[in-house]
Amino acid sequence: MPSHAPAKSVWQAVCQVDELPPGERKLVTLNGVEIALFNIDGAVFAINNRCPHRKGPLIRGYTDREGGIKCPMHGWRFDLRTGQSRRPAQATTYRIKIEAGTVCLTL
Amino acid sequence: MNRQNMNTLIKDEYAFFLRERNNWSLTVGPQDLELVAHALRVLLHARTTPDFLDDYRALVACQNEDGGWSPLSSDTESTVWVSAFCGLMLIRGNRLLRHAQLTQSVQQAIDYFLDTQHQDGRWVDPAWADLDTTSHPVSFFNVVMALGETHRQQEVRHAWQQGMRFIIDNQSPDGGWYDDEFHPSGVEITAHLIQDALVADLVLDQQVSGVREACAKGAARLCDWQAQAGSWDEENVDHTMDCTRSLMLVTHILQDSHKRETIVRGLSWILDNKNDRGWGDFPGMETNLERTCDGIDTLLKYQAYSNSGTHEVVKLWGYLP
Repeated sequence: MPSHAPAKSVWQAVCQVDELPPGERKLVTLNGVEIALFNIDGAVFAINNRCPHRKGPLIRGYTDREGGIKCPMHGWRFDLRTGQSRRPAQATTYRIKIEAGTVCLTL
Repeated sequence: MNRQNMNTLIKDEYAFFLRERNNWSLTVGPQDLELVAHALRVLLHARTTPDFLDDYRALVACQNEDGGWSPLSSDTESTVWVSAFCGLMLIRGNRLLRHAQLTQSVQQAIDYFLDTQHQDGRWVDPAWADLDTTSHPVSFFNVVMALGETHRQQEVRHAWQQGMRFIIDNQSPDGGWYDDEFHPSGVEITAHLIQDALVADLVLDQQVSGVREACAKGAARLCDWQAQAGSWDEENVDHTMDCTRSLMLVTHILQDSHKRETIVRGLSWILDNKNDRGWGDFPGMETNLERTCDGIDTLLKYQAYSNSGTHEVVKLWGYLP
């Protein structure tokens, strides 16, 4: 009989917290997916590195104090918490947890 | 780079582009139409369009009922940016192909742009800044007029003038065009506007006042924004190609040879930052076909810029038959 219980999150370590101090960013690859990590004022965010518009690299984008990232190619802005945008497509974001000085995320 | 090396590079990159045909040709299935339009532009400038009639017929086949195109060829909702790019390649391609189906399709595209212009002269696309979006139908209409298309001629001229006016009226006093939401740096918009929209007026009939001054100021601003190493917008390959191409056309028409050094520096940076085959969006990134099409186009235009008179250069933008 099929189970309808939600799949258990698989958390995977991607870097140490001290590799990502406030104001910094880091590109990691997990299971073949490029993920851009940002530390904005101590809060860490993870978003798919490729803009859904023309696949621009968000790791090279412009962050703002409201928790947004703007693609360097054509300026689409995404909320780093939700991936939401005023443009026609949203970005994929990932849940983060920090355990024992390690940044972990789940795809 | 000497002329022979440039010719060899263009030949090699064009061969690579052809090997990737399954990834851009509508004859093999649905495609991203922005990429298709980039590819058709390469064919035009490599002078191989007559060998690709089926690609043009496939572009006609995916035109929507309203005369526009969708970002994906299999979708049915038209958007302005990609419609302008497709329409532009279609009218320019049909100058060589002379096909009745294509002629009709161009006229439907004209209808689409006349129907979608806003009262203040702009065109709107949710994916792009309004100024940038507006430059593309204006560019399409530039070519429509340059090639003597007579469909709804007076309405086209009026819409074109309105679009031009919207662009000129929104130039910043420092010579750049900006959009707080999409392009705060102004680089890409400024490059697009002076080459795609405004400068054609100088080649056509100089109907709109202030174009020469607007282009000269915009070109000067672009030069100011170039990084020492030759790139624009923090090593953005796309924007560096846009600026280099834009300055080639605009300074050629304005007969401003002082900016040649900026152009050569831009081209050198582009060559230094290409992959073994093609270009990526930033140095070190994987090759993508759209950027590769831009790269080949930049080389072909530089070749014309270096070797030819103004007439040949302007022809590469479609503003002269």
